[in-house]
Amino acid sequence: TASKCDCTLKLMFLSFGTWAVDKGNFKTCEQSAFCKRQRALKPGESPYRALLETMELTNTRLTLQLINDNNKVRLLLELYRLQGNITRVKINELKPLKPRYEVPDVLIREPTTEPLSVLSQDENGVVLSLGVESQRVIISARPFRLDIMEGSDVLMSLNSRGLLAFEHLRMRKDTQADPEAEKKEEADPTTKEEEEKVEDGMWEETFKSHTDSKPNGPSAVSLDFSLPGVEHVYGIPEHADTLRLKTTDNGDPYRLYNLDVFQYELYNPMALYGSVPVMVAHSAQRTTGIFWLNAAETWVDISSNTGSSETPQTDVRWISESGIIDIFIMLGPTPKDVFSQYASLTGTQSFPPLASLGYHQCRWNYNDQEDVKSVDAGFDEHDIPYDFIWLDIEHTDGKRYFTWDPHKFATPKEMLQGLMDKKRKMVAIVDPHIKVDGNYKIHNEIRSRGFYVKNKDGGDYEGWCWPGSASYPDFTRADMRAWWASMFAYDQYEGTMENLYTWNDMNEPSVFNGPEVTMHKDATHGAWEHRDIHNLYGLYVQMATAEGLIQRSGGVERPFVLTRAFFAGSQRLGAVWTGDNAAEWGHLKISIPMCLSMGLVGISFCGADIGGFFKSPSTELLVRWYQAGAYQPFYRAHAHVDTPRREPWLFGPENTALIREAVRQRYTLLPYWYQLFYRAHVTGEPVMRPLWVEYPQDLATFALEDEYLIGRDLLVHPVVEEGARGVTAYLPGKDEVWFDVHTFQKHNGAQNLYIPVTMSSIPVFQRGGSIIPRKLRVRRSSTCMEHDPYTLYVALNLQRTADGELYIDDGHTFNYEKKEFIYRKLTFANKVLSSVNLAPDAKFTTDSWIERIIVLGASKPSKVTLKTADGQEKQLEFDFDASMSVLTVRKPGMNAGADWTMTFQ
Amino acid sequence: MAAQVALRRQQAQEESEARDLRLLYPCTGIGGEAGIPQGSSISAGVPVSVSSSPAAACFDVFGSENQKDDKRFYRERKSFLCIDGSRMIPFEQVNDDYCDCEDGSDEPGTSACPRGRFYCTNLGFRPHYIPSSRVNDGICDCCDASDEYNSHARCQNTCWNLGQRERAYVEGQMRTLDEGLRLKQQLIEEGVLLWREKQAQLRELQQVAEDLQVKLEEHRRKKHEADRLKEQTLKALEAGDGGLIRHQNSSVASIFHLLDSNKDGSLTVDEIKAKVVLVHDEQRVLSEDEALALLDRGHRMDLSKFQSTLWDVLTRGDTVKIKDTQGAPGSLSSEDPHLKAADRAAEWEATNLKKVEEAYETVNMEISDLQKKLAIDYGTDWEFLFLNGQCYKLKVYEYTYTLCPFNQVTQKSTAGVEVSLGMWGMWTGKPKNHYSQMVYENGEPCWQGGSRSTTVTLTCGTETALRSVKEPSKCQYIMDFQTPVACQPVLKQQGIHSEL
Repeated sequence: TASKCDCTLKLMFLSFGTWAVDKGNFKTCEQSAFCKRQRALKPGESPYRALLETMELTNTRLTLQLINDNNKVRLLLELYRLQGNITRVKINELKPLKPRYEVPDVLIREPTTEPLSVLSQDENGVVLSLGVESQRVIISARPFRLDIMEGSDVLMSLNSRGLLAFEHLRMRKDTQADPEAEKKEEADPTTKEEEEKVEDGMWEETFKSHTDSKPNGPSAVSLDFSLPGVEHVYGIPEHADTLRLKTTDNGDPYRLYNLDVFQYELYNPMALYGSVPVMVAHSAQRTTGIFWLNAAETWVDISSNTGSSETPQTDVRWISESGIIDIFIMLGPTPKDVFSQYASLTGTQSFPPLASLGYHQCRWNYNDQEDVKSVDAGFDEHDIPYDFIWLDIEHTDGKRYFTWDPHKFATPKEMLQGLMDKKRKMVAIVDPHIKVDGNYKIHNEIRSRGFYVKNKDGGDYEGWCWPGSASYPDFTRADMRAWWASMFAYDQYEGTMENLYTWNDMNEPSVFNGPEVTMHKDATHGAWEHRDIHNLYGLYVQMATAEGLIQRSGGVERPFVLTRAFFAGSQRLGAVWTGDNAAEWGHLKISIPMCLSMGLVGISFCGADIGGFFKSPSTELLVRWYQAGAYQPFYRAHAHVDTPRREPWLFGPENTALIREAVRQRYTLLPYWYQLFYRAHVTGEPVMRPLWVEYPQDLATFALEDEYLIGRDLLVHPVVEEGARGVTAYLPGKDEVWFDVHTFQKHNGAQNLYIPVTMSSIPVFQRGGSIIPRKLRVRRSSTCMEHDPYTLYVALNLQRTADGELYIDDGHTFNYEKKEFIYRKLTFANKVLSSVNLAPDAKFTTDSWIERIIVLGASKPSKVTLKTADGQEKQLEFDFDASMSVLTVRKPGMNAGADWTMTFQ
Repeated sequence: MAAQVALRRQQAQEESEARDLRLLYPCTGIGGEAGIPQGSSISAGVPVSVSSSPAAACFDVFGSENQKDDKRFYRERKSFLCIDGSRMIPFEQVNDDYCDCEDGSDEPGTSACPRGRFYCTNLGFRPHYIPSSRVNDGICDCCDASDEYNSHARCQNTCWNLGQRERAYVEGQMRTLDEGLRLKQQLIEEGVLLWREKQAQLRELQQVAEDLQVKLEEHRRKKHEADRLKEQTLKALEAGDGGLIRHQNSSVASIFHLLDSNKDGSLTVDEIKAKVVLVHDEQRVLSEDEALALLDRGHRMDLSKFQSTLWDVLTRGDTVKIKDTQGAPGSLSSEDPHLKAADRAAEWEATNLKKVEEAYETVNMEISDLQKKLAIDYGTDWEFLFLNGQCYKLKVYEYTYTLCPFNQVTQKSTAGVEVSLGMWGMWTGKPKNHYSQMVYENGEPCWQGGSRSTTVTLTCGTETALRSVKEPSKCQYIMDFQTPVACQPVLKQQGIHSEL
């Protein structure tokens, strides 16, 4: 749903007349007092010194005090070696005036530590062994600096530029409001000595009409990292920017502050709806990652010496408004190591219900039950599959979530049953802003339980959002989340059934009349300020909602919850979309790097609104977007309420056919998508990934963002240019071959391939050496295809081998956790194709069978023999297309869960 | 009961016909116990008995007119040629749940082919095709349940009920159509009458206009004459200019003498006070000072002085006047009786002319309104003419919609704000049925650009009423408008031809 109330929309439209973000609504670094203060620090003047004599080393924990020689404030540094090649560094005040916020609920567990030992020590520093691979940490004392070494290589240095800064909590000194206190302060010479210059914005800050009271004063933290040998850094979503992060020397740093940005602009470092403070650094030699665990407003500066004659190096600097420094240095060395290291900390992608990988039809709004019914019927009439139809805010009774409009959605269960009869599902929106209305049960309960976020004066925080005056539940409270979850029970949330799922929008949180369209930083969540927890709010909303969906089924069913705001760890909770984009070619194009960036930091289930949310797409753009979206993880069309209808069949039979074909391609590949999500759930690997993840030494892939891989085996280069006649795809790997999935034509790797395109083209290639299962009987919905047979696409590499996997379960419950699934390894080698059980302890039965095997790059066999587990053998019919070297084995017929071998003689 | 017997008899007959045509080829390989082809069942030609009537699915492919031609393709032979001629396959591979033909023709009874079609016989109801992707997908599509012969779905045969409902519905529709057409005929007749009436009205108005024009000319002439007469009189008066001056002089002298009570050839304060009063307060006697001021601050005033001072004041007539007289003594020429008469006559004629002009204008406006109205396309028999001038309302949730055909569409909220959803635009039905849809355009502007518009679909019904209003996209409204004049005889033919 769009940001802003209608009135603001109107105002903006009239006063600017263009479709672009009003940058004046959002802070630049210069306008954010702590960012300005911190950025003004000069490198090479670090006041911090390590007090080596304070060092204490238990088996797995090293502590050490740092002192700021300017103000004598001491910090406590903790250093841990974590399992899986991760180093954690925590820096907090030794004796803070009051506790500083440490982010809870993001790490899935207290990380497992490993032993540390001192290798050597003198007055200048300490050398510690990190246990494996000759890795060491060197702590230098004056100024404080930390280097992580492997052999003689420096992998990463901390405070090497001396930009560590830790604004200690202090008593307020500029006591204009209290002249008595001022006198006392002045009379006290000891405090005078420590006093630092009071700058504007330390104790109060005003942006536009909003004043931040800052009762705790300055509290920012900052640290710099040097990455020798690195020229490419990625991650820190969400930004509408290139995949490869840019240097920020000549502009603002990348900002991480969850905001509802109305009509966001492309290619700039402005903050958007979500934040994952994780950066991935990559070079041909190594991949590493930095996880900066802080939920306050954060800015990230990047500079690089690229272009100079020196050894390449990238310098990064993180600045957060409050909290502590808590960093996880993930040392790789491969991209997949970094993914699993990060997953070991924050968890993996939730395993979505299979149906949620199908196509989703959304619009703000489907007006009433009749509308829903006719759109549903339209899909059948035009033979286009879909799994979910969505209801935006207008379905509620006056924007009171958990309710239905009594006229337009008078009998929701009837509607849901109608969808269920077709094995389809629905998503209804539940936003976190709660209408202040004494006749609204949800509001009354939250208020009476004291569950609302409080304003700085202690009253319930109120802001303006869709329902008018609204309050915001304090989702940081576990008891609030538990209560919220209980509201999804079928007897609480009336008119709901098991095929209704949930969408959390506006959870940055969006506050139309708040500073930067969000919550005041001096609002409070118990002991903490909103300032401390801001970027975490959206994660908590989704967490409570997902928990609600799990609980309503008695813990049996997997939830599906879409969120707009997110943080590190949100991958565990559901899907994310890129928010309110626009019907422009640039927005189609940027959906690729935006989702790739999220995938690199754990969030695989990502998608952009097909067609673009604002404005109305040209038919060509709409078709291209359906085609591109068919090959992105979350596949949902969505449209603003003020745009004309754009259901797939409204653009003439030719375009309907093009869209139908794109959606059908998606459905044939659902088995592959599903098993990739299973893998993402197990390993943390992204489903949609940049080429360099699989070809880490191929420099040509490092900045590619117009093509990507799905899993390891499908390369996609969607058409995202208006009037395109062709695209040039880079096919990686000098020992690889790639097969066009539509024509089966074989292409060599390590080349730029020009592919002429027509309106029906979606350039996709299958890697030689892979086996991909598809279901070719595309039906009304994914659930209708549950028992359908598989076709295996075996693409041979130059060694004439291939392998792949096949994962099958019930598609919607947590029973896979009880080992109720089929997981098989498919291998082609020495002219034998076989299926071997990868999980012998798992049990599941399927009706699905193997109906066809297509071998790409094959030679003609004289006979094909199938041998089943019971020892029976039979000859199979086959068809060989010599011009394309494609062998099709006809109806082998074995069950998809069985052991078998197939010999090609 | 009798009907069921009849239905069974019909089914039996069809089956026997099918057998005669040797159409009951076996359905091979489309199921095992769990729907998985077992090793043994892979060998072609072994019929598999699954659910109640698997065989049904095998001959369901035939039946409709256009399918009759296809029957020949499925005669059991050694081999089967795909209907598109692309390929020859062994006959056992027909309906064996594997797609061999590009055109899907080898799998008319299974879901194996992506572009295949499955034929629902639907005895008792309407036969139809479904995409083969709906075969055995767990959803009952054919009312005879034939599409779910090997799935977990438990489908009932609902054809008979559906057929009955459909027949009742069609009968209802037919009745509606009959009644609608009857009403339409009336409305056409009324329309023709109305059209004629309007035409007559137009002619009448045009006659009135013509008459008025004659009158107008006459009045113009009369006015012209009166104006000329007035001018002449005025000229005549002016022509005797000496006379006029004399007249004036003597008047000056006569007024002087009137005021000069003692006739001593000069005016005094007392004489002034006796004869001159304030225009606005005739009852009050002038004060000494006021009288003195009128005498130009002299105590006596002779005729020549009077002529150059007090005479002017008196002729202006705005402050003082001679007691017991009306108005100022000046402009005495207007008092000329000839001129007065001429002036009145000219004024009279001007008023008359104006009246006629106004009448003429009104009539012309009525004519142009009527012409505009008559220029609209009211259908081949003016059957939609009666709608012009009518308005139809419908309340949907919090809004009341009003359709005034050939004029405008409006929406009124419960709060009372009325918004235009468009002014009459044009007919937009497809050429085949031009009068099935109309559009109203250029309503209230929308904030995101453009303006509101309404598309009205006309459907056949026995009453004229607004049936539904929707706003699928912002500012784009869709109305369903029912009226007998939308009833088409062609519909009736289709109804009769439907196979029920």
